[in-house]
Amino acid sequence: MTESKKDVIKFKMLKAIDLSGFTVFDPVLRLAFGEDPKKQFGSIVKYIFIPIVFVLTCLWLWSWIAPHHKTKSGEVPTPRDVLNSVSVNDTIADREAIKSQDFLLSGEKRQARLSEVKAQHAALKAEVDRLQAIVQTREKEKADREAAIIAPLSERYEALRSEYREAGKERDRLIAELSEDLAAGRIQKMELTAAIREDGEISDVEREELNALKSEIDEVRSQKYRPLEIARKEYDSMADKLFFLGTRLEFLEDRNLNVRLDEARSRLDGYMADLAAAESAKDALRLAKRAVRAEESVDRLEGQEYASAVTIYHQTKRSIFTVFIGFFMAAFVAIPVGIMCGLNKIFMACMTPIISVFKPVSPVVWLLIFQIVVGAFFPDPETHPLFVTLGSIPFISSLDVNPALIFSACTVAMCAVWPALVNTALGVASIDPDHVNVARVLRLGFWNRLFKIVIPSALPLVFAGLRISLGVGWMVLIAAEALSSSDGLGKFVWDEYQNGSSLTFANIIMVCFVVGIIGFFLDRMMIILQRLVSFDGKGASV
Amino acid sequence: MRLKTKLSIASAALALCSLQAELLDLEKDELKFGFIKLTDCAPIVIAKEKGFFEDEGLQVEVIAQPNWKQLLDNVINGELDGAHMLSGQPIAATIGFGTEAHIVTAYTLDLNGNGITVSNAIWEQMQENDPALDTDTPEHPITADALKPIVEETLEEGSKLQMGMVFPVSTHNYEIRYWLAAAGIHPGFYTSEDKKGFTNAQVELSVTPPPQMPATLEAGIISGYCVGEPWNQQAVAKGIGVPVTTNYDIWKNNPEKVFGVNARWAEENPNTHIAVVKALIRAGKWLDETKEDGSFVNREEAARILSQPNYVGADYDVIKNSMTGFFYFQKTDKREMPDFNVFFKYHSTYPWYSDGIWFLTQMRRWGQITEPKPAEWYAEVAKKVYQPAVYLAAAEHLLEEGHIEEADVPWDTDGYKPATDEFIDGILYDARDPIGYLNSHAIGNKD
Repeated sequence: MTESKKDVIKFKMLKAIDLSGFTVFDPVLRLAFGEDPKKQFGSIVKYIFIPIVFVLTCLWLWSWIAPHHKTKSGEVPTPRDVLNSVSVNDTIADREAIKSQDFLLSGEKRQARLSEVKAQHAALKAEVDRLQAIVQTREKEKADREAAIIAPLSERYEALRSEYREAGKERDRLIAELSEDLAAGRIQKMELTAAIREDGEISDVEREELNALKSEIDEVRSQKYRPLEIARKEYDSMADKLFFLGTRLEFLEDRNLNVRLDEARSRLDGYMADLAAAESAKDALRLAKRAVRAEESVDRLEGQEYASAVTIYHQTKRSIFTVFIGFFMAAFVAIPVGIMCGLNKIFMACMTPIISVFKPVSPVVWLLIFQIVVGAFFPDPETHPLFVTLGSIPFISSLDVNPALIFSACTVAMCAVWPALVNTALGVASIDPDHVNVARVLRLGFWNRLFKIVIPSALPLVFAGLRISLGVGWMVLIAAEALSSSDGLGKFVWDEYQNGSSLTFANIIMVCFVVGIIGFFLDRMMIILQRLVSFDGKGASV
Repeated sequence: MRLKTKLSIASAALALCSLQAELLDLEKDELKFGFIKLTDCAPIVIAKEKGFFEDEGLQVEVIAQPNWKQLLDNVINGELDGAHMLSGQPIAATIGFGTEAHIVTAYTLDLNGNGITVSNAIWEQMQENDPALDTDTPEHPITADALKPIVEETLEEGSKLQMGMVFPVSTHNYEIRYWLAAAGIHPGFYTSEDKKGFTNAQVELSVTPPPQMPATLEAGIISGYCVGEPWNQQAVAKGIGVPVTTNYDIWKNNPEKVFGVNARWAEENPNTHIAVVKALIRAGKWLDETKEDGSFVNREEAARILSQPNYVGADYDVIKNSMTGFFYFQKTDKREMPDFNVFFKYHSTYPWYSDGIWFLTQMRRWGQITEPKPAEWYAEVAKKVYQPAVYLAAAEHLLEEGHIEEADVPWDTDGYKPATDEFIDGILYDARDPIGYLNSHAIGNKD
């Protein structure tokens, strides 16, 4: 009895694994249920263990190669640097959250937090000063070391240069003499030209020698002094933290919402009291005006939120939102048009040239076109009903929908529409003739035929198309966001590129992984949907 | 003119006496400002981060823009309320060179702050041409004289030297042209057909966005560029080029960026505009605060703020260099340049008509303005774009609130700075005589 119950659970779980496409974990599950351990171990080694080893080898190779590849635009980040940039970005997001909490704190809680942060700030200040002193000593060390190495080199350089300059002058003098000799007819002109040619050759050689020496000196100067780098890094991160604590103090004191509200309210009360005691009509008017203005500023403050800087989490959310908007727009067009194409050969013939010409067009071109064409619909984005409505929906308002997002979504839709359209058309056109014949025998009407026969049998291919569409859309989105500066992962990459800081490279590679992993999950999601609608349970390949 | 300004101050002051240190009656309190990742966006960023905007009751979002064109487009289409702009942008937009729109400015963000960098190869050749440059600390200013033989050699080989600047109406474009032309190198004309400015050029100047400059230089596509910070210091840090001159040497204390808004926006939100300028003036003053020994009080903190990834985002150490009054010309050549970035001193934030007129003369000199214009036209355009009344109203409030001092603002000026000859070629510039100024240059359009 228990045995069969266990089997039921096992098969349900196996089916779930199969449905989601994670069939690699199949042997792990079977092993957990004790089914043929030897065979399962074999598959685990082959399909899980070896791939993991392979990926780890790749990571190792990466961390080995990265420091060996020299570029002038910065160091190639190792996996560790990329991991570090994940934590840096997380810290930024964390700090924004803390600041926004501080901004809203009130009463005793604020006081308590304030004294706590003050203590931290003072402690850290001492630490930062200590680190700064270390940086200075290291800087001096570096300068001393450099000077020691460079001094003989530059001495040699100076000596060589003055020697060559003298030699050059001497040669010039000789040439001048020769030319006089030539003018006087004492030598052949060949001799003079030869002398000039020789002078050029010697000068070139000398210059090369000097340049070599100079680049040797430059090389010494550009070499990094490890202890200084480390000291500077430590100092920078602590100074950053100190600065953050300083900002927190501001947000807990003068810039705190409740402190400001109290101030504004007491000012309002003062005016109100004055107004009650006003003697002349002129005074009353003046004070009433002030009071109204003070009231307005209280109202304004009450509605205020902390204006948070954009974090990577927000950008990721926004990117996913945008891709789905674009994807649904694409599906909304692709499925009906695809069905029509599949049903009607003439319609298909009409659509073919349009599909074939526009399918290969780059997303960048579409974005520029949409910016101009769709942009015309939003002459004043802030009062446009679409954005006002979207701004009033709870979750969506936090995403701050703007025209740039719409352009990006349109670009996604334009590029994602084709695979879905073509697959739908194919799915509809390749319905089993038996089904069509049955429909004919049953004398089903157009709508019945469409919803009972055509769509159900085309559904697996439709979803296969949608899956490709979503993948294409996600890929296109990053480029579209970068170009339209719609907040999202694309803009994050572009901003990072523009920052040109020491973290830039690592951040870009981090986004590589973020985009890849999200793309992977989106794809899995579509696979599950696709399998759910396929009757044969096979679906497309993984 | 003087009377008019005084009148407007008086009327602003009249409106004020009933207000004291209260918030202005804001028409709009949630604003979005755009900026380009350059250190001279500092006043806008500081006004936000130090809470100066909040003090005015403004909730401001500061958003990085990918390039100058898109920034301007976003101000025109209302996506942004205002932005960090090149001084030439409001003027060019107003007269219809490029995208046409009436853009105005009531606040100059900073003076100076640009440099011209050449590649290592060009620098070596310049040193060969002029042995005086062949030291670790050559004497400044460095003119383009040593570059001239290289330009001629390249021309003889049948190609033209390529250099980069950031935007057709940018200060950088006019500065690098000025520097080249001062040494007798023709940087090319714009004409009604040639919008790239290559006509008659001996050196071709093309547009490259600032952050891409070092990479483009390294790739050998251009041999030099004129750009703002931190992109010159970046070239030194990476060892790919040598800054030969800063724009301080080309024109001492030249106007650089302005805070531009749409004229319609300014009309619809007059009090908000004043409130914004108030916050910016305080930010400028905060940035230029100095100790008794002349060193800056707040610049390190400013560099720390600007190095955040959502602002300029370059490394703190790189931003700190120029912000704290130093400039590296080579790794071994660190010089003190306390006026490399001026955010408040010398009445720099006041919207001077004479600054606008200088940009107009350069647009005419290089053919961006295709026909000759009378001297009055220059003054008219400058008055259309620069709005000192807003600035003075804001300053009046601040003076009353005790945030600035009487001497911080040129209350009685007519908007014209005194004539100056502090240019690299020593030619006198008098904003009252734009035509005479145009005609005093050897290279360029003359009227």
